[in-house]
Amino acid sequence: MISSLKKRFVSILAISACSVFASIDAEMEGMEVVSRDDGTFLIGSPTFYFDRALGAGGIHSESELWTPRKLRYRLLFNRMSVLPSWNPIEAPSIWMKTGNELGDLIYQDFLTDAKERPANRTPILEGGFRTPLFHGLWATFRLFQDDFNCFRSSYGVRERQVDGFFSFFGENWPMFSSAYGGLGFTNDFIDVSVLAGMEYMWIFTESSRWIPIQYKPRVEARADFGNFSTTLVYENAQYQNKQKKETGERTEVNGSIIYKCGESCRRGMLQLSAGFAFRFVGDEGTVYTGLASDRVLWPFLEMNVRPQEHLKFDVMFGINNRDWLVQDSVEYNIPVLEKMNVSIGAKNISGTRLNPIADTHEFFDGDTISLTASGHMDLLQGFVRFEDSLTNFLGFGLRGSFWAEYGAETFDVDEYVDEKIYTFRHGDVARINSWIKGVTGEFWLKLWLKDLFNFTALTGFERIDGSEKRFEVNPAEFFVAFNADWLIKKMFRISHSIRYRSDAQWNLRSRDPFVVKGDWFWDATFEQRFPKWGLSLTGTIIQALGKDAIETPNGEFSRLRFFCTAKKAF
Amino acid sequence: MKKLITILAISLVSLLHAEDPLQFRNDSAAVANDISFSHFAVFLEGGEIYPIGDLMDAVKNALYGGIGIRYTYWDNVDGVVMFQYTYFKPNVNTDIDGVHQFMGRVGADWKWKPIHPVVLGGGFTCSWTHADSDDKNWGKPGGTLTDNETEFGWYARISLPVFKYKEYSLGFNVMWEHLWTLPESSNMLSAGITLERSIW
Repeated sequence: MISSLKKRFVSILAISACSVFASIDAEMEGMEVVSRDDGTFLIGSPTFYFDRALGAGGIHSESELWTPRKLRYRLLFNRMSVLPSWNPIEAPSIWMKTGNELGDLIYQDFLTDAKERPANRTPILEGGFRTPLFHGLWATFRLFQDDFNCFRSSYGVRERQVDGFFSFFGENWPMFSSAYGGLGFTNDFIDVSVLAGMEYMWIFTESSRWIPIQYKPRVEARADFGNFSTTLVYENAQYQNKQKKETGERTEVNGSIIYKCGESCRRGMLQLSAGFAFRFVGDEGTVYTGLASDRVLWPFLEMNVRPQEHLKFDVMFGINNRDWLVQDSVEYNIPVLEKMNVSIGAKNISGTRLNPIADTHEFFDGDTISLTASGHMDLLQGFVRFEDSLTNFLGFGLRGSFWAEYGAETFDVDEYVDEKIYTFRHGDVARINSWIKGVTGEFWLKLWLKDLFNFTALTGFERIDGSEKRFEVNPAEFFVAFNADWLIKKMFRISHSIRYRSDAQWNLRSRDPFVVKGDWFWDATFEQRFPKWGLSLTGTIIQALGKDAIETPNGEFSRLRFFCTAKKAF
Repeated sequence: MKKLITILAISLVSLLHAEDPLQFRNDSAAVANDISFSHFAVFLEGGEIYPIGDLMDAVKNALYGGIGIRYTYWDNVDGVVMFQYTYFKPNVNTDIDGVHQFMGRVGADWKWKPIHPVVLGGGFTCSWTHADSDDKNWGKPGGTLTDNETEFGWYARISLPVFKYKEYSLGFNVMWEHLWTLPESSNMLSAGITLERSIW
């Protein structure tokens, strides 16, 4: 019996330990989406992308949905984003990263007519450190800037909107450039930090404009003690449009506090967490977005119930004077099919708004775009999942789901306007007041050999139907991916991923649908590890197969790129 | 079985804690296995670089020089880091006198026994260039080089140590370099002499 249990435990652990995606290094913390194609992941810039896993259900982008897990994410207009991350790097270490989109001319310039030159390729840069503890005290500094996906609109377009180069380094007008430093104190009872810095950022809005914002300064304080996590942020955001001679300033205080279920609670049948997030803003001059009443308070409650070993319920509920949002799920691991790891479940998302803490209005050339829609949305999904190992080196699984959504958020376009390379839109956020239905299927096969080799092949399809078919994004209907990691002598890692994603289509941000053609992508990371010295040297190549393409309306080219990173633990 | 559970648990933990990419330093088996930096050497290198193919019409052959370090990675593999400098003269009619080029390379040398003492190496390379010109005229040939330009690529090389005296060694090497430039990729061949001193 014990042996059987042990075998079962090993099988489950082994399957779980094989990541679905190869460990391709992200170009920057929060940009893991670049190497994902298990759904629709369309990159416009580091500060704007559409991210929706194929089996997620509904037609929204995951980053548009607020959840308590994202309390310390950045709010970029209406999206919750890891990037630009102000999470202090946890390990005391020093690190440096540099890279470039591939395809500069160098000496080919002498042989190429000026009119035939390919567009300039742009770099990436990061450096930072976190000191070891000194009587519990530590210090950190980080400067990071991603110039990928930025060049097309740099010269002659975005440069005219702002003073100077709007970044810490270079002349590419990157979509973000950030630097901060600060102090922290960590012991067994408390983890507290205060960081201060400055940031340049271009935010993409519902009108399809890129709006430059300079945070000067931005200050973030965090304190984790007992079962509480608290965050307090002060931002002085400066807005400008040099061409139109407009300037504005937003002073914002935001943050959150959450009480998480304690250790003994986590062992119990009922686990409760509660907290609230808040934003207070004060706008002066021309600020291109607005928050009704200049504030939002968002109390929420999380509940996890485990009435028996095989059954779990998870519920999140938040409400305030404007909005409410419920996210719940139930999963049942069928005991009679325990040996086959079969589980069935359902999830539901209902609410007046996917992101209830985001701004409520955008102001665009005399028009006020409402970012909230009346009524509410309901998303229901049922799924069945099966995963098992055939031997101690081979496993496979599948997942099928059906979903239906009523009242999905969309955008009612009144008018399109053109400006240089861009198309903007007037209108309001609205709802699709009919049922959208979808069916999905995913299958994966895993092969592993201790920690030496780890391979996953996965494929998925989705069919969406309903009376309305022009969503903001019609997601890709099919993908296939082959991912592998090798770890040789525990010191040299090769991770690679080759994937195909079918066509996706933006419908509402241009007069004609904007089709993002399906393509193959290949990414690889090579890493020299020095375990004894806590040192790592990596080189990563991204999008080696895929054609250079613009994946979002008014977005930037996503190009083949290479970057290398050196990290040393103290 | 215990070992398998441990390995899988470590893999799972490392996946869950992906925010610490240096987690592997806490794997005692990996630390015990690590013989890196058991030998360490520094070297000086100099020689000539020859553009290959179309590139011969763009720039002339150039001398280069540089420094580097070599360290034990595995028993038969050394890690190598190199920094080099060269100055390319254009082979076309242009106002640019020449182009400063700095190269950084990270790779490994494989001491494959059947071909001893010949050593095979390869890795990634990065070239940073800046034209020796104050005239920022983008329309002229080489105009983009008046700004900083960077490109990555890979290299492969063969090294042959021919002379050893105490902690010093002298050898030849030939390197093929491929840069991912556009509209065509760029290839160069270099041949040089390396003087190396073992530190430990």
